[in-house]
Amino acid sequence: MSAASTSTTPLLAIRGLRAAYGKIEALKGVDIEINPGEIVALIGANGAGKSTLMMTIFGKPRARAGQIEFDGRDITGVATHDIARLRIAQSPEGRRIFPRMSVAENLQMGADATDCSEAERASGLERVFTLFPRLKERIAQRGGTLSGGEQQMLAIGRALMSRPRLLMLDEPSLGLAPLIARQIFDAIRTLNRQDGLTVLIVEQNANHALKLAHRGYVMVNGLITLTGTGKELLQRPEIRAAYLEGGRHG
Amino acid sequence: MSTPNVRTSQAAQQPSGAAFIFKKALISALVALVLFSLMIGVRTEAGNQGGLIYWTRFDDLAAMVAAVFGGSIVVELLRQWLGPVDKEKLVPPVVRSATALAGRWIAPALLIFTFLVPVIFYDQRYILDLAILVLTYVMLGWGLNVVVGLAGLLDLGYVAFYAVGAYSYALLATNFGLSFWVCLPLAGILAAFWGVLLGFPVLRLRGDYLAIVTLAFGEIIRLVIINWQSLTGGPNGVSGIPRPTFFGIPLDNSDDGLAAKLGIEFSPTHRVVFLFYLILAMALLTNWVTIRLRRLPIGRAWEALREDEVACRALGINTTTTKLTAFATGAMFGGFAGAFFATRQGFISPESFTFQESALVLAIVVLGGMGSQLGVALAALAMIGGFELFRGLDQYRMLVFGIAMVLLMIWRPRGLIGHRAPTVFLEKSQAISSDLVKEGHG
Repeated sequence: MSAASTSTTPLLAIRGLRAAYGKIEALKGVDIEINPGEIVALIGANGAGKSTLMMTIFGKPRARAGQIEFDGRDITGVATHDIARLRIAQSPEGRRIFPRMSVAENLQMGADATDCSEAERASGLERVFTLFPRLKERIAQRGGTLSGGEQQMLAIGRALMSRPRLLMLDEPSLGLAPLIARQIFDAIRTLNRQDGLTVLIVEQNANHALKLAHRGYVMVNGLITLTGTGKELLQRPEIRAAYLEGGRHG
Repeated sequence: MSTPNVRTSQAAQQPSGAAFIFKKALISALVALVLFSLMIGVRTEAGNQGGLIYWTRFDDLAAMVAAVFGGSIVVELLRQWLGPVDKEKLVPPVVRSATALAGRWIAPALLIFTFLVPVIFYDQRYILDLAILVLTYVMLGWGLNVVVGLAGLLDLGYVAFYAVGAYSYALLATNFGLSFWVCLPLAGILAAFWGVLLGFPVLRLRGDYLAIVTLAFGEIIRLVIINWQSLTGGPNGVSGIPRPTFFGIPLDNSDDGLAAKLGIEFSPTHRVVFLFYLILAMALLTNWVTIRLRRLPIGRAWEALREDEVACRALGINTTTTKLTAFATGAMFGGFAGAFFATRQGFISPESFTFQESALVLAIVVLGGMGSQLGVALAALAMIGGFELFRGLDQYRMLVFGIAMVLLMIWRPRGLIGHRAPTVFLEKSQAISSDLVKEGHG
């Protein structure tokens, strides 16, 4: 890798990424690097383009310019359903579990698109249940009857079923009670420490996300304006003003 | 909370006095008066000279308005007595266990009864014919259920595949002399091909838009059949379609016939019974395949697609192939049913494949509860059998039938069998010991 100046090759490298919905440009040249084993937080206000970035990595919408590289391979033009096979998993915004399907079926759906063996499915299931014992209790229940927190656990669990190398979470704390949100963040930390899972977390809850993350990026109007370690960013006065004190989101 | 408490709290929220009921009934009667004054109050007819003659029927009108007034009072009283329809009611455990028991036994009981129908009603040709018709619609319903019930793709042109299957068999058999058993898979394959062909342009459509395109597709197929006279015979249809054979042995009065070979006396009922078991086998095959597919990733993907397309994409499901396989599978079963229809009738024409057929099959699926196999079977029985049951009511048949459907949709808005049985049972999860339930280690 010629571009990498650091000793490790980044797992995900995004360079000059542009994406748009029709004429409205949502990403105006984004550069992000995620190293293996890292938790990276992407924070920013509503409409900054955080979710768009996550979806563009998945190829929907397609990048208009720039490059997305996963594990040294250019995936900018790879079809959406093939990206999941590279073991990039996503827990989309608003959880989006399958409401009429049972918890067990929801989890199986996570493994269906990838070529997981039965053994991998079983071990994936065990991992999810260890992480979220609540899901094991609710195994036969319909997804739609779960509480918000349980649904978020299910969404993350479903993403984990494909045994990902990179897990992308879009607003995992959205609409959750603080205590439940902490449980979710704890689970992400556990995954990172015990399994060495690389995580990209998109959050409006900057405080939580930056405390959890090794490094963070701040996004404003489709551009990365600030970057640094989680601690550094938490101490920056402009971050405190924009995302922690003045700009609290419900 | 006990039931009387619930009642009183509801009574406090909703107006329930005699004045309220009276007022409501009066409004209904007024609406009825306005609506019916022209529909019933004035009767018009073309006279002998072609002019319009009309006369008034105010007594009928008065009777109708009075019926609406009285009916409105009855409905309102019933509603207050039964409580709100959208509220979950507490069901006594005895009733619940009884319905659970009935639910477990109804499918096997129905299946055994169906197998015995030709034995019980051997002498009643009318009932046998009706049973074959019901089973044809059960099969069509199960086929459409894959598209609408499982994959959630609203298809208003399902009859197109029925027509493709019927014409495939009819034309292949009359032009090339191919037997039913060779044509059956061909009809299914051709219908599936058309299913994929329909699938491609509608990949990005959902809901209403999809419904419009599929509706148009159904009409296009029918119009092509009508106008492509050199191939399809146009409005005259195709006649002289060969009857099915018992694996090559004809079911007729000849010396080669099955009856002669078995050394029993020939009876035309033999063929009807054979047709009955043929469609029963085909319908059961449809059911079996659907049940098996539901347990495979592809079936799970169909259902997930119905639930949330965006989530499917996020999980890396290929939504294109998922939709196309759903269309193709549903269309294939429609094609099978069409081939059966052609061989049973011996004659087909475009008139058999109107939008009304699509609507009827869709109604069966919706009424049965989208995605429920048993529900679809029950709904087909109710729709086709019930329709025949009301035959004695002559001109009021449609009215009674319509009212019955409206009532059913009020009481069971999700269809006869609205709940969905999960397909993943984790027997192994029982074996995961409790130490894994504890948080911490991985």
